[in-house]
Amino acid sequence: MIKKLLLAACIVMPATIFAQGFQVNLQGQKQIGMAGAGAGTAMDGASIFFNPGAVVMLKKNQVNLGVSPLFFKSAFLKSGSNNVENNVDEIAPPFEAYAVFGPKSGKIKFGIGAYTPFGGLVNWGDKWSGKYSLISLNLKAIYIQPTISVKITDNIGFGAGFVYNHGSVNLQRAVPITKSDGSDSKATLDGSGEGYGWNAGIYFKTLSGVTIGIVHKSKVVTKLNGGDATFDVPTALQSGFPTKFDSQLPLPATTSIGFGFYPSSKTTIAFDANWVHWNVYKELAFDYDNNARIPDTKSPRNYSDGASLKLGINQQQTDKLALRAGVGYAFTPVKDGYVTPEAPDANRIILSAGLGYDFSSKFCLDLSFLYEGIESRKQTNLESNLSGTFKTNVYIPGIGLSYKF
Amino acid sequence: MKKYTNLKLILAGLVLLTTACKTKIDAPAPSKGSADFSKYIAIGNSLTAGYADGGLYLEGQINSYPNIIAKQMKAVGGGDFIQPLFTEAQSNGSGYLKLGSFNADGTPNLVPVTDKLAVRGQINIPGFPTPVTLYTKYAGDINNFGVPGIKLQQITFAPYGNLNGYFERLLPGNAGTNNTTYLDFVTAKPFTFFTNWLGNNDALGYATTGGAGDVLTDKAQFAALYSALITKLTAAGAKGAVATIPDVSAIPFLNTVTIGALLAGVQKVNPAVQAIYISTATGPRPATSEDLVILTFPTALLGKPTAADPTNNVAANPYPYGLDPRNAMESKYVLDKAEVANARDYVASYNGTIKAVAAGKGLAVFDAFSFLNTFKAPGQQIEGIQFNSNFISGNIFSLDGVHLTPKGYAIVANEFIKAINGQYGSTIPTANLADYRSVKFP
Repeated sequence: MIKKLLLAACIVMPATIFAQGFQVNLQGQKQIGMAGAGAGTAMDGASIFFNPGAVVMLKKNQVNLGVSPLFFKSAFLKSGSNNVENNVDEIAPPFEAYAVFGPKSGKIKFGIGAYTPFGGLVNWGDKWSGKYSLISLNLKAIYIQPTISVKITDNIGFGAGFVYNHGSVNLQRAVPITKSDGSDSKATLDGSGEGYGWNAGIYFKTLSGVTIGIVHKSKVVTKLNGGDATFDVPTALQSGFPTKFDSQLPLPATTSIGFGFYPSSKTTIAFDANWVHWNVYKELAFDYDNNARIPDTKSPRNYSDGASLKLGINQQQTDKLALRAGVGYAFTPVKDGYVTPEAPDANRIILSAGLGYDFSSKFCLDLSFLYEGIESRKQTNLESNLSGTFKTNVYIPGIGLSYKF
Repeated sequence: MKKYTNLKLILAGLVLLTTACKTKIDAPAPSKGSADFSKYIAIGNSLTAGYADGGLYLEGQINSYPNIIAKQMKAVGGGDFIQPLFTEAQSNGSGYLKLGSFNADGTPNLVPVTDKLAVRGQINIPGFPTPVTLYTKYAGDINNFGVPGIKLQQITFAPYGNLNGYFERLLPGNAGTNNTTYLDFVTAKPFTFFTNWLGNNDALGYATTGGAGDVLTDKAQFAALYSALITKLTAAGAKGAVATIPDVSAIPFLNTVTIGALLAGVQKVNPAVQAIYISTATGPRPATSEDLVILTFPTALLGKPTAADPTNNVAANPYPYGLDPRNAMESKYVLDKAEVANARDYVASYNGTIKAVAAGKGLAVFDAFSFLNTFKAPGQQIEGIQFNSNFISGNIFSLDGVHLTPKGYAIVANEFIKAINGQYGSTIPTANLADYRSVKFP
């Protein structure tokens, strides 16, 4: 009756975060080859994502499919340690699929796109020094976007699309409660949900020949209701732990301005500036259905906005072969003290290369390779006090097929 | 079709590149600084031996903080570190407590582990009131000299090897025949580096017996012995690190069963009860939250008349125990406010001595007193783990409420390492707390 134990108060579950690291800039193989610039050009069906206003400027109806196996290679050196820890190799498969079709007149085009603008796959394993912050995260957001694009004049296109998001998350972390066999407890949060938004853009062809695109992609708040919370904990404590959770993923809005320059008939230079409205991300909350052992979590995030600059070139080398290259830089929205193993984020440099090959007037193959070097960042997380240096390289080869008709 | 062959090559190259190369971070170059870790020895008591859960057993020994330090020292030239381990067949050593289950009201059932013991018998030592439990001897050189129970006050007392079974275990002679002092024993073989964490028991025994079962070591005697100890340890040029004594009144052993909780429990049955009465040096009085009750107080005694117990010299008492000034809680169960202040005063003096002596010899100091005080509830997160000084759930203290869990010992090891690196310019890497467990739950 007397030696009351207050177990609950000290078993805190810090919440996860979603950052620049979760914005996936892989929505078209041609554009990836150009560092992801594409708001101010009309290259292919990927304009459904990059600028719905440019879709109507596409000369042909087409279907574009692509996939970009993503190798996220992170390293962590805990402060005071000499042991560099690496995440486990796992390949995330961001993909894109677009279809654009419209009447011969070319005044209007319809499109539908499915793509993965946000996602993350990182697995540090269950032995590493930060396992109580994260073992693994698999986050997917698949946007499906029906789109209409119209020519307002011969030189101005306007387009808009409705965005439906199917989001899913699987988050695993070790819990520092020792089981009878001496191993750690483990929490797995697994859920999916839906969100809605829009994507609209306008595209100008100026008299000088420069093309300009202005695009806004709205935020998509994806609610995860009734997700499964699986707590692998000692039997004696099991009844106090939750089995369900509610949360939401605030996927931020992006405003872009893009330019296309055409110094010769064979050369396209694209430049994009993107502003990512991460400041909407103030906190992340998990509501559990049973709070006997652990409280609901409300973790402050206090993000600033993120931004990126991207410059790419497309050179039509021969009738059939196009070569591409690009460079970019992205500014992290994650402030000091909020860096976590889920998104070991920092400013990043982007380098790309790509090629396109037309097998016929209808079939085209595109290959791309994107490298993102995320700067090394030494941090002490304000919530977990996990202190150390993160450094991440991301390698993304990609392949795409287009069919024009 | 040469083009496609090239393409395949490029693709294969990319795949190879992306899978083979790991992202690298440059770790600091290993350096022993101005110290030499090739032969490290650990001086201390139960904390140094790896005592946990009310006993010394193999898993605790393996997770002792000196063993963790020694493991980390290997990166900067540390040598082998031999501990007087119990064998696998006697892995439960002295026996210990495990958490068997929880009662319906949330209180823990602690169950003694009594198999695979290393107990070899008991012996009565003339002039010593209680029999000494003896353990299977360990022969051979050792680096970890942690002896559970030893006080600084006892390190030059020659017969001590007959009175402490954990010390006797390390000595060649049998109990009753030993006359090697602890100080002579630990300095018999050469060494290059030492850690020393003696002195806890000079205050702890007083605190855990409510000020009734033991006395605080005299301050001047503590200073003289500490100085003698460090002088001898550094005589041959060895460098080392020492630790201060934690606040003995801040451990879960004295902060889990509270006067408030006892009173609330009694009032549930008898709402008229106003106070818990305790015996103090100035007579019985109502207890306050500043009086600390020991973890092992048998709560069943409360409120009942005391039956006569002639073997323990207890007379019958008709008044409800602890609820009436005429049958107040015995002093041995309560470290009352004056005793808390007394213990703190002595610990402050001991720590002043430790810091002064260490400064005089240029030794690294781990200020365990200040450090462990940062874990008072709600405590703090380290490496993503919430730690505080709560019993069972706090992740630091083991089931005896005094000694540490493997995670707690790993924290201590890391703090020693930080102090050593700071003092000697070395780069001993810290251990990952994630590799060590806390209290095992059923």
